[in-house]
Formats: sequence, C-alpha cells, structure tokens
Amino acid sequence: MSQYLLGRIASTGLVLVGVSALTFFIAHVVPADPVLVALGEHAREDQIQAYRRAYGLDRPVLVQYLLYMGRLAQGDLGVSIRTRRPVADDLREFLPATIELGTAAWVVALLLGVPAGIVSAIYKDRLFDHLCRIAALMGASMPVFWLGLLLLGNVYYRLRWLPGPGRLDIALSPPPSRTGLLLVDALLAGDGAVFGNALLHLVLPGLTLGLFSTAVVARMTRSAMLEVLYQDYVRTAWAKGLPGRRVVLRHALRNAMIPTLTIIGIAFGNLLSGAVLTETVFAWPGLGRYATTSAVSLDFPAVVGVTLVAAVIYTLVNLVVDLLYVRLDPRVRYD
Amino acid sequence: MRPRLAVVVLLAALFWPFGTGGFAAPARDTLVYVSDISDMISLDPAVAYEFSGILVAQNVYDTLVAFEGEDLSTLKPRLATSWRIRDAGSAWKVTFKLRPGVRFSTGRPLTARAVAFSLDRVIALNKSPAFLLKDVAGLKEGDTKAIGNDTVEVTLPKTASPQAFLSILTFTVGAVVDPEEALAHQSGTDRGEAWLRNHSAGTGPYRLERWDAEARAVLVANPNYWGPRPKVSRVIIQHVPETSTQKFMVASGDADIAANLTPEQAREMAGDQNVKIQRGKLLQLVYIGMNVKHPPLDKAQVREAIRWSIDYDGIVRNLLRGEARKVQTIIPEGLFGFNPATPFQQNPARAKALLREAGLGGGFTVELLVPTGPAPGGVKWSDIAAKVQSDLAKSGITLQIKETAQAQLLNIYRAQKGQMVLILWGPDFPDPDGNATPFTDFAAKSIAWRNQYDDPVAARLAKQAALETNRSRRLALYKQLTDRVLHEGPYVVLYQPTTRFALRKGVQGFVWNPMAFAEFRTVSK
Repeated sequence: MSQYLLGRIASTGLVLVGVSALTFFIAHVVPADPVLVALGEHAREDQIQAYRRAYGLDRPVLVQYLLYMGRLAQGDLGVSIRTRRPVADDLREFLPATIELGTAAWVVALLLGVPAGIVSAIYKDRLFDHLCRIAALMGASMPVFWLGLLLLGNVYYRLRWLPGPGRLDIALSPPPSRTGLLLVDALLAGDGAVFGNALLHLVLPGLTLGLFSTAVVARMTRSAMLEVLYQDYVRTAWAKGLPGRRVVLRHALRNAMIPTLTIIGIAFGNLLSGAVLTETVFAWPGLGRYATTSAVSLDFPAVVGVTLVAAVIYTLVNLVVDLLYVRLDPRVRYD
Repeated sequence: MRPRLAVVVLLAALFWPFGTGGFAAPARDTLVYVSDISDMISLDPAVAYEFSGILVAQNVYDTLVAFEGEDLSTLKPRLATSWRIRDAGSAWKVTFKLRPGVRFSTGRPLTARAVAFSLDRVIALNKSPAFLLKDVAGLKEGDTKAIGNDTVEVTLPKTASPQAFLSILTFTVGAVVDPEEALAHQSGTDRGEAWLRNHSAGTGPYRLERWDAEARAVLVANPNYWGPRPKVSRVIIQHVPETSTQKFMVASGDADIAANLTPEQAREMAGDQNVKIQRGKLLQLVYIGMNVKHPPLDKAQVREAIRWSIDYDGIVRNLLRGEARKVQTIIPEGLFGFNPATPFQQNPARAKALLREAGLGGGFTVELLVPTGPAPGGVKWSDIAAKVQSDLAKSGITLQIKETAQAQLLNIYRAQKGQMVLILWGPDFPDPDGNATPFTDFAAKSIAWRNQYDDPVAARLAKQAALETNRSRRLALYKQLTDRVLHEGPYVVLYQPTTRFALRKGVQGFVWNPMAFAEFRTVSK
C-alpha cells in the first residue's frame, strides 16, 4: 500500500512538471505583451524595458522557462506580473475563499444529489423520479450567472431572507486570519456571530455553484442504484425480511457508491476550479476570479501558479477517491 | 442519533435569521461605496496609477495644490497656502508656502523636507506615475528643496511647462508622505514602498485602516486632519465586480453608492424612490485613429470623408442613450482649452464628393481594429464599431472590423501597424498638454506617432501652448491647435463619455472629479 502511495506521489510530480511546462508555453504563445497590460497604455519605453528586465522577460523563452523551473523546484512560484506580489502570497490569500465556497457547493451537491438519486431509483418512473429528472435537467442547463443573479435578486434583495454578496456582512470585521477559511478562523477566535454570518453568506453562492453538480450526482447515483437494486444479493436481503432502510443504505447504496464516488470526486475538483462566474456575481474574493484576471493580463507566473494548485487538488482528490474504493469494495487492492 | 442532531443544528443555523426582518444596513457614520476594484495593486501614491488605487490615495494623502469638484481649471490651495512661478533665466523656480499646523496621521508635523522627500521618492522609485515628474516636468532627484521648515522650492527646466507641473501636483503622484514613517518601514532601499502598499502615512482626511485584496479597503477619519472633520468617519470601498449585484446592494440599502452602473441599470433604478442617479464627468475621449502612411488614409480628403460619414448624434443618442457628449476636438470638455467646435455630421453626399476628389469614387476597403469588452459609456466596443461600419457603408467605404483583446490591439497600435483603430484616451494629468502633446507631437512617440502623423506646425503649437504662462494667450494657442487638428489630424473623435452612480437618497455632497476619483470628506448620509 505504501509503495502504491509513493508511486502515486511520484507520478503526481511528473504531472505537475508537464502541466507547468504546458501552461508556461501556452502563455508565451499569446501574441501580446504582459508588460503592456501591467503598465497600461501610457507607459514609457524605459519603464517597459525596466519592467521587462525586473521580471526576466527580456530573456529567450527557453531561458525564462529553465529559470522558472529552477525556482519552482525550490518552491518559489515567482512574482505576479499584475499584482507585483509573490504568487504564493496571492494564492494563500485567494485559495481559502474558494475552498470554502467549493466545499459549500460540494456539500449542497452531496446533501441534495445523493438522496434524490436514491429515491429516484427506488421510485423509478414514478412522479418523484420524473420531477427529479426535470429538476436535474434544469440544474444542469441553467447558466450559473443567471441563476446567481436570480437568487440574489429574489432571496437577498426582495425577500431579505439571506445576506447579500461577499463573505461577511459589511458591518462585521473578519476574525484574525489564521487559516484564511473564515468559518475556521471564526471558530478559532470563538466568534459565533461571525461564524453564523459567514455560514449564511455561503448559502446562496453555494447553491448557485452546487446546482450543476447536484444534477450530475443525482443522475449518477440513480443509475448506479438502479444497477444494484435488481441484483440477486439485494433480492436476498429483501427476502430475509430486512428493514427497507437497511437494504437500501447498507446493501444497495454501498455497492452503488463506487461510480458515484468517482463523480463526486471529479465534482469537487471542478467546483474549486470552476467558480469564476459565481465568484463574480457574489463578489467572492476567490481563486477563480484571480485566475481569470491573471489570464486576461497574460500574467503567466500567476496562471501557472493557479494551474499547479488546481492540478494538485485534482490529483489529491483522485487519490482520496482511489483510496476510498478500498474501503467500499474489499475486492479492490493496490498491492 | 448523532448524525440526526447534526442535521438539526445545520438547519437551525441556516434558517435562524428568517423572519428577523433582514440584515442591518450600514451604520450612519459609515459610507459603503461598491465598485469593481480588481485593479487595486498598491495604495502607495508613488506607485498607484490605477483608478481604484488613486481613489484611496486621494483620500488619505494631500497634495500641495488641488482642483476641487468638477473644476479642473482653477487651482486651489491644499498643503500649500500660496505658490509662485518665477522665471529664473535658465530655469523656472516654483515656490510653495506650506500651510502651518498640519500633522500627518502618524502625529508628526508636515515639513518642507517631507515634501522634497516625497517628490524625490517618486522619481527614485520610478514606478508607473513617475514619468509625470521625470518626463513631463523634467524633474530629477534634488530639484525639490526645502527652504526652512515652511517653504519648498522646485527648479524646473525651461523645457517643462510650469502650468502642467502644477496640474500634475494635484494628482496622487504629488502626494506628501511622512518620511519618518516611510523610512521606519524601509526594506532594502525601497523607501517604504512595500509597507506603503497597504498602509498609509499622509495628512489627508482619512487614513487606511485595512485593505483586503479583491475584497475591500477601509478608510477611517484621520484624527489629526487639519481641515474640517469628514462627515462620515468610515468609508468602506467594497469590491463588487458585477454591476447587477451593485444595483441590488444599493437598492436594498446595504451600500450607499454604486459606481459602475450600465445606462440600462441607471434607467431602471431611476424609478426607485430610495435611490438617486448622479452623473459624473470623465476626461476620456473615444476616437478612431487613422494611420496616415496607410493608403488611402494618407489622403487628407479620405480622412475628411470618413469624418463626414459618421452619424455622431446617432451614436450618442441611440447607442449610448445620451450617456456621452458629442466632442470632435482633441481636448475634452472640463480641461482648460476645450474647443466646443463640432462641425462634422453625417453627410454621405459630401463624403462621396471628397472621395471622388481623392480619385476613390468607387470606394475602398479598410480595416478597423476594435477592442473586446465594454467601451466607456457602457456599450460594447463592437457595437460602436458596427455602427461606424454601417455609417461608412453609406459613403461607399467598406469597413472590416477586427476584434482584438486590448493588450494585443495596443501592441499593434504601438508598432504603427494599425490601419484604423477604435480606442480611448484619457489624459495623465488635468492639463490640456496631457492631450495636446500625445495627439500632435510625433516626437513624443505617443498617439501621433502611432498613426504616423508628423505635423511640425501642430507639434510646435503644442509646445508653445504648454510653456505659455499667460492664460489668454495660452487659450488662443490651444484654439489654433485644436482647429488645425480637427481637419488635418488623423483622428475621428466620436464622443466624451459620462459615468453614472446610484446613490441612496440621503447621500449628499458626493462629487465626482473628472480625473476619476471622489473626495469622501464632503459626503454625508
């Protein structure tokens, strides 16, 4: 097992090198000058040259790449061309907000998607199943941007049920930052008001971002459940007179979880990297917006940094999913 | 039981505020200003050159002189109570008498040495705004001297315009920083740059309490401020990138001022009793540059024909819904030297006659580079381009629109490789020279150069006007220059945009300075 883990970690390293090289060179193929973007239209030639030198952009691309990789090997992600700060500092600032939002969306997808999938499978082709199918279709096809504005306009502005954009009410000051995760920091500071407020602020963006994944998770759970519900061992379980809940949750769901788990894992990765529009609508200071602004500014150190973080998250989630397979299905072994 | 308990707790947490009557609006002494501040990079006045960074810096730092409100032609005293320009033969000497009794937010007194330190610091750091002092005013480190504790003397080269220099000093690049505080936080030789990025050490009505990137900047009243106490003691500049979200926040009372409404949103909100819409002037000009080395744009008649083909009123009225002013000369309204002449209107017959004169009776095809995204005034660049395309078609000119990301477009434009380019220009400092030189002086390597427009007469006029210290003579020179470029220059100036704010009904005293900032000290709610 530990050998398997070591192998996986080593291959992750290779993936990261590949990802960084690809991103680096794609960023350099774009026929525009990041320095012009950073300094603006009015910049003078000597400033442009000084800036280029300061960021090593006057060197040939290959040299730039080797220098970049050399620094990366020492854990240095470089300095953002746009914000002029170390990329690592930027990531530390923006990643926690996105992790919080992505996790909230993921919880939404789990709490709504899995039960809906189970119930749909049990009541296949009955009213609930049809309703779920329609809901899933809507959830999967509704533009995130529109859904976000719809929720803001109604739940926040018209009904005043939930707070508006941002991670916290303007009247509240955030707790001292230890992890960057507001909920965790509020708990560490023992600040219940901030914790409650931050949690409420998560509801609308979490729903907005999570709805697409909810639909996918629900459909996946349903079809996986359908496959096992008519297997012999489930029929045997029923025949033994076991209570329905036990049959469904213990015998059927556990076996249906393998494909569902894969989808849930992928969904988590997607949620963390695909939050741009939700972050824009809800003024959420997260990584998605940082990534787009950086990309538009041709800020390649930042873009490579974000890509690496996304790759690490994907790989980790995949690893966790693979390890969970072992727990769910004793037949799976990695020796 | 345990999981069930967790669900109950979670649901209770989610639903507890329901029916409690919503959420608290911001306190009366706190002003919440929502805007897209993703361009905020540094709040150090020697570094900031982005709209939102300047908005903050203008409120936490003071300059020697200032333009107040919407008037960009009358200099007002700020940290200097009086100033004098003297012709010292080989140079200009500009002396400033400092206001007595001013203290920084740090508690230390303002001194003439602090002023010299601040201007020298800008030049030494050589960041984005430094060219204003170095290139436009021709200053070097050491040219600003403290004479005693309350007098500052600046030596300007004879090639620089003292008027333009004073205008530059109204901008954050001329802000005075507490030298002791900056040096106390120096790392390496950065004169406190890294620290001042997100801290403040000025004499302004506010000081910076905190800045969370992509989230908010919080200003609190400076207890040592020399002027009248600001009416709101806290200003929160909240980052809200999406304009619909800004709209919801002002409509619900969670924000007091929204800064980036589209014309449609402003119209929708005009019906809300709790909200008022206020317009702000901008100094930008949206124009088309024509590369005069690219045939047939090299013919004066062709350029004139293009100017006679466009439906300027239609652009302002229908596309921009009146959120702009028709301006056709190169100095915008609001600056000294503005020329209100608008001789051009859509006249296809006249345009066709001009084309025949140029031997192009059958028309021609030309390419127009157009940025992606929204243009000033709230419409898309591509919509303006499409309108221009259909206007030119009526005169027999075929326009090929090529949409390009602004960064890439600027690359092409700066390399003199555009045929026609649709773009905007805003002056770097509130003086007509901020437009006149770039638009007319080929040697300045700015807009005239990009369009390969080399007119020595225009360049000489611009230089002469820049250096002229007599106001009426200066005005006459700018009139002469703008009239000349109107017909001979390579530009089609389309409009000067306005911007819109939504304010809660009770908000008073908010004035948008056309240099794109507001002074919150005058605002009450």
